[in-house]
Amino acid sequence: MAVTDGPELGTQVPPAFDRHHPPDKALIDDCVHCGFCLPTCPTYVLWGEEMDSPRGRIYLMDIGLAGEPMNDEMVRHFDQCLGCMACVTACPSGVQYDKLIEATRQQVERRHPRTRRERAFRALVFSLFPKPRRLRLARAPLRAYQRARVSALLRRTGLDRRLPAQLGALEALLPDLGPMEKVPELTPASGQRRARVGLLVGCVQAVFFPQVNAATARVLAAEGCEVAAPPEQGCCGALSLHSGREKEASRYARRTIAVFEAAGVDTVVVNAAGCGSSMKEYGHLLRDDPKWAERAARFSAKVRDATEFLAELGPAAERQPLPLTVAYHDACHLAHAQGIRQPPRQLLGAVPGLELREIEEAEICCGSAGVYNLFEPEPAAELGERKARNLLATGADLLATANPGCLLQLRASLARLGERLPMAHVMEVIDAAIRGAPAGELLDGRPAGKTRA
Amino acid sequence: MAGAASQGPASEGSGSAVATEPLDAVRRAAGAEHTRPGGPADEVDGVRPALVPEPDTVDRVREVMRAAHQAGLHVVVRGGGTKLGWGAPPAGLDLVLSTARLDQVLEHAAGDLVVRAQAGVRLADLQRELAPASQMLALDPPEPDATLGGIVAAGASGPRRLRYGTARDLLIGVTVVLADGTLAHSGGKVVKNVAGYDLGKLFTGSFGTLGVLVEVIFRLHPLPAAAGLAVVEVATPDQAGAAVRALSASSLVPSAVELDWPDPAVPGTLSVLVEGVAPGVEAQTGTAARLLAEHGQARVLDPGELDAAVAALGALPWTPDPDVLGVKLASVPADLPAALTALWEAAGAHDLDARVRGHAATGVLWAALRGGDAARKAAFVTDARDRLALGGASLVVHQAAPEVKEAVEVWGPAGDAAGLMRRVKRQFDPEGVLSPGRFVGGI
Amino acid sequence: MVDRDRLIRRMRQIVGDAGVIHERNQLRTYETDGLAAFRVIPALVVLPETAEQVQAVVRACHQAKVPFVARGSGTGLSGGALPAADGVLVVLSRMRAIVEVDYDNQRAVVEPGVINLHVTEEVAPHGYYYAPDPSSQLVCSIGGNVAENSGGAHCLKYGFTTNHVTGLEVVLPDGELVHLGGKGPDPVGYDLAGAFVGSEGTLGIATKVTLRLLRKPEAVRTLLAAYDSTDAAGEAVSKIIAAGIVPAAVEMMDALAIEAAEAAVHPNYPDADAVLIVELDGPEAEVSHQFAEVERLCQEAGSSTIQIAQSEAERALFWKGRKSAFAAVGRISPDYYVQDGVIPRTALSAVLRRISEMAAERGLRVANVFHAGDGNLHPLVLYDADVEGEEERAEELSAEILFACLDHGGSITGEHGVGADKKQYLPRQFSADDLDVMQLLRCAFDPDGRCNPGKVFPTPRLCGEVPGKRRVHPVEAAGLAEVF
Repeated sequence: MAVTDGPELGTQVPPAFDRHHPPDKALIDDCVHCGFCLPTCPTYVLWGEEMDSPRGRIYLMDIGLAGEPMNDEMVRHFDQCLGCMACVTACPSGVQYDKLIEATRQQVERRHPRTRRERAFRALVFSLFPKPRRLRLARAPLRAYQRARVSALLRRTGLDRRLPAQLGALEALLPDLGPMEKVPELTPASGQRRARVGLLVGCVQAVFFPQVNAATARVLAAEGCEVAAPPEQGCCGALSLHSGREKEASRYARRTIAVFEAAGVDTVVVNAAGCGSSMKEYGHLLRDDPKWAERAARFSAKVRDATEFLAELGPAAERQPLPLTVAYHDACHLAHAQGIRQPPRQLLGAVPGLELREIEEAEICCGSAGVYNLFEPEPAAELGERKARNLLATGADLLATANPGCLLQLRASLARLGERLPMAHVMEVIDAAIRGAPAGELLDGRPAGKTRA
Repeated sequence: MAGAASQGPASEGSGSAVATEPLDAVRRAAGAEHTRPGGPADEVDGVRPALVPEPDTVDRVREVMRAAHQAGLHVVVRGGGTKLGWGAPPAGLDLVLSTARLDQVLEHAAGDLVVRAQAGVRLADLQRELAPASQMLALDPPEPDATLGGIVAAGASGPRRLRYGTARDLLIGVTVVLADGTLAHSGGKVVKNVAGYDLGKLFTGSFGTLGVLVEVIFRLHPLPAAAGLAVVEVATPDQAGAAVRALSASSLVPSAVELDWPDPAVPGTLSVLVEGVAPGVEAQTGTAARLLAEHGQARVLDPGELDAAVAALGALPWTPDPDVLGVKLASVPADLPAALTALWEAAGAHDLDARVRGHAATGVLWAALRGGDAARKAAFVTDARDRLALGGASLVVHQAAPEVKEAVEVWGPAGDAAGLMRRVKRQFDPEGVLSPGRFVGGI
Repeated sequence: MVDRDRLIRRMRQIVGDAGVIHERNQLRTYETDGLAAFRVIPALVVLPETAEQVQAVVRACHQAKVPFVARGSGTGLSGGALPAADGVLVVLSRMRAIVEVDYDNQRAVVEPGVINLHVTEEVAPHGYYYAPDPSSQLVCSIGGNVAENSGGAHCLKYGFTTNHVTGLEVVLPDGELVHLGGKGPDPVGYDLAGAFVGSEGTLGIATKVTLRLLRKPEAVRTLLAAYDSTDAAGEAVSKIIAAGIVPAAVEMMDALAIEAAEAAVHPNYPDADAVLIVELDGPEAEVSHQFAEVERLCQEAGSSTIQIAQSEAERALFWKGRKSAFAAVGRISPDYYVQDGVIPRTALSAVLRRISEMAAERGLRVANVFHAGDGNLHPLVLYDADVEGEEERAEELSAEILFACLDHGGSITGEHGVGADKKQYLPRQFSADDLDVMQLLRCAFDPDGRCNPGKVFPTPRLCGEVPGKRRVHPVEAAGLAEVF
């Protein structure tokens, strides 16, 4: 049974944007069309087309505001944006592309009719990824699950024939899983208490990289923090927010705020770059909600990436030597969206014996970009392989980064090239250094996604 | 060729037999006192012009060209006359238009490092005027009496091109008179300027085939306070090549790297000229000598011998003498050993003695071939070109007897742009008034 | 009229479906380059990937009698890559291979879409660099640099693109492929590579460019000197030049420009009315000797603070402020015009005074960022398009600044090009005869005038139909155009 594209394909919605938060004309006018963003934009790097550059996308927003219809072409170029925000870093005029694309995505999500197969795949992704429980259920024989559940579901909708690339991307990304490692609800500070922090364990991180959460909690505790990990917490809404699903994102945001307010913490520490970046945006997301706007802004001000927080706090625990060369990969949502580049390097660089290496084209996204690698598998794969090659060229023993999406993406990309490289979250490296674990523990045939025994 | 009678090279230097009226018009245009009949010294490749107008103003140049254009007279422009021997014999010649009286330095803006001068100013005279401000025009072609216009028209250069570039790089403005008397400017008095097409580049090296250069504007450089010279004897082309490569790969900034190889049987000399502030020169000359020492017997010249040695750098390996074939060979610098070898082998094959000098690090060599008759020399040119062709090098005849020039293409091939070059010529000089047949591809 | 659909089909045959853009929204993203004041929607955009494809595209345009315009990264500031209405925009951003690097001969052969900075990044590990460094070097393409003869801060010592391009592979407007110059010195015949560089895309499309590479200097020293007036800073430059020193770069920014740069990239410039960045490079012994002298001369001219870059990072920060200055002005003004006039350096004080007088008369602010060593001014005329009449006043002021440059013997453009923006001013700098003679070159390359039409030269002109004797063209007879 073939799925036919609905009659809505090819329709145009004039004008492109409605009045509910269209991309802000004043922000668009900040763009002076200098083009400095082009070479850092992953899709421009791939295709060399103006429409798939930040400058071109802003131009599309502008002509959309001026009355051009939102047609399939326009939407395609917005969809193809990874949201990596490298352009925000590159822009000398201070254009807030992050705000612009977020507003645009919400308009697209509301106003652009997707085809049936697009809708089905999106529904699948957003019903699976942000739900730790469903993801967790899926953990035990994962391959079987893929066959039994995902594939069955897809077969029922006839999607398997239509979406080989997207399905392939999904399957390739899902790593083999090791045993669960749960973060206790409360971890006491070792030694004198210096702070009381909340820890977001997240959805993807909690399921695929539970050991990262465990390591983060240990590091925080070792540095004198009492760590609260409220069990009621769930997805922070980053994946939804970055895909323009405003209502869904707002729901997740309210819950996350409420949970951490109740936990009574000074700071909310996040070890996933995408989550941290969207949690810092809650104030903006909920700005129209009179009951929540202020609470959200207050909450956002408390959010810190784990590396950012530890760099601010300063080290208390002693680090044991780790004789390793480590390539540090900037997660876009850390480096570009949150402007955090030095703290992770500082933390890693301070580990005795550890040699830090930079990766060529560091500013270019690895193609993960939240769920981008699921919705746009081809460019994501190309970018992933490009990054993997640059990564291998460093000759490092270990890749460290601070985002689960990047780890999944890079592992899959290396595998496609027939290569492997041990990977770890920055927190795992610091944890190993504090515990005095041997370097081999980080390297020991241990691809991302597998916990140590 | 309306109105002109001269056809090709005339063996006994017979003048052109132009009707008197057009010539009178030229006399009137240039001023009778500044016009004289062509003599033996005015011949171009054995062709004698009817008249030699020497106009003293730009307006008079325009008048002369208008008169010549109307009458269909053929004109070769001459500055110092030092490079008239380059190029093929003119297909027609009625007038040699001399720029000798356009000899004013019009403006030296020392604070801006710019000079504006008429085309007939001799380089040596200009340098004397600039020296009190401790400035110079960084061109040093070997011909002692060369004029600014002639240097530009011929694209002449010398050893220091390694550091400062050639005329095309230093010329920032030109005024030209076209074949029909039209006066045109391009560029200007400011070094940085991209308004309009850069006709200065087009005219540089155009060998007088597109128009008459009447005024030029150059950017200047400070006169270096000190100079130093390190030399090395090199036994083989490969050694020379290795030494040059080592210099190029170093962070030295020499003004010139010159090669002098009088005879393949004896070692050649590679000289490295360093100029600048005294402490820098001393350090760099020392470094150069150490670098060179790995490739042969090297030393730094004493102050006593320095001036003479520097002055001798870049001299051509030939003197004006139709019996000596002078060729210029241009290749990428890394091909220096191959170019030297090809030259010597071709010379040997035709039993000629070769003396080679040149700008080793830029890939320009000059060779003087002595000993054989015209046929052997012509055969040498063809042979050497064949041997060099693979590397994309060019060989241009700069001095040769008319018989040699008749037998070979003086400029060699111009590649796939030859047709475009002809179209350029047709636009600027549709009637072929200026230096007909003298340039590449019959232009 | 050309059948657009047929042209689209033809172009798709040449470059494939993915290389042809014809949907309106997509086309509109190409309607302007770095100078957004000019907008023209092209009939279609073609993205070739090889020289053969460029050749076939141009030939197809020639056969269809359709004008075409080449575009690189679209960062030009004179509207040089403004599309021709009903024409084809040939975008070279997919031709970005560094074809060959020949270290022995210090040459690189690159495709036109290669980004300027990528050349240096490619060769830097071997100790080389590509000298021309326009402020947009991290995005502008080599092909665009060739078209505009781009300069940059370091051209004071090292020259412009034209001094660093030794060879070109060019597709002529009729589709013929020719090679101008090459790797070696002194190519035989006319210096058509020299004529092509800076011709603003009106003579053809370069498909390969041979560049000179320079050895990285042994030493680089950079200082930042603050002054309480641009006059005093200008005095420092005069002293340096008079001392016989040719710095690698001398850049000046005035108070407004400093403010903008601070807002954008926080280079930590001192609080001053003018800052001067002076950079020397070359052999260590020479540089250290001259740098001491430069420092002394800067002090003599009355500098309040002199900072010397202690590390490569600090040096980069000095430059970041300068190189981001244009776009940074977007932080202190909603709109602005950038001009690119040149004056003899010695006229600096006089012209800057004149500019501030003229600005005051119109109630506008002008930020000045410029290459002080060679007199290339970049006055940024700030305005707010939402304020009635300001845009017009700003445009007038921009024009008058250029005329002031011409009054001092300068030029209307030092590196941005004439393009669509300044063509009406070109007759102020050159006589009708000058422009006619320049047009002869155009006629040799592009007799039909289809290559980037309507740029550089003020009036539409036609070339004589046949070489030699000129005949009256019917359009000329009808009084519609002038003929050459």
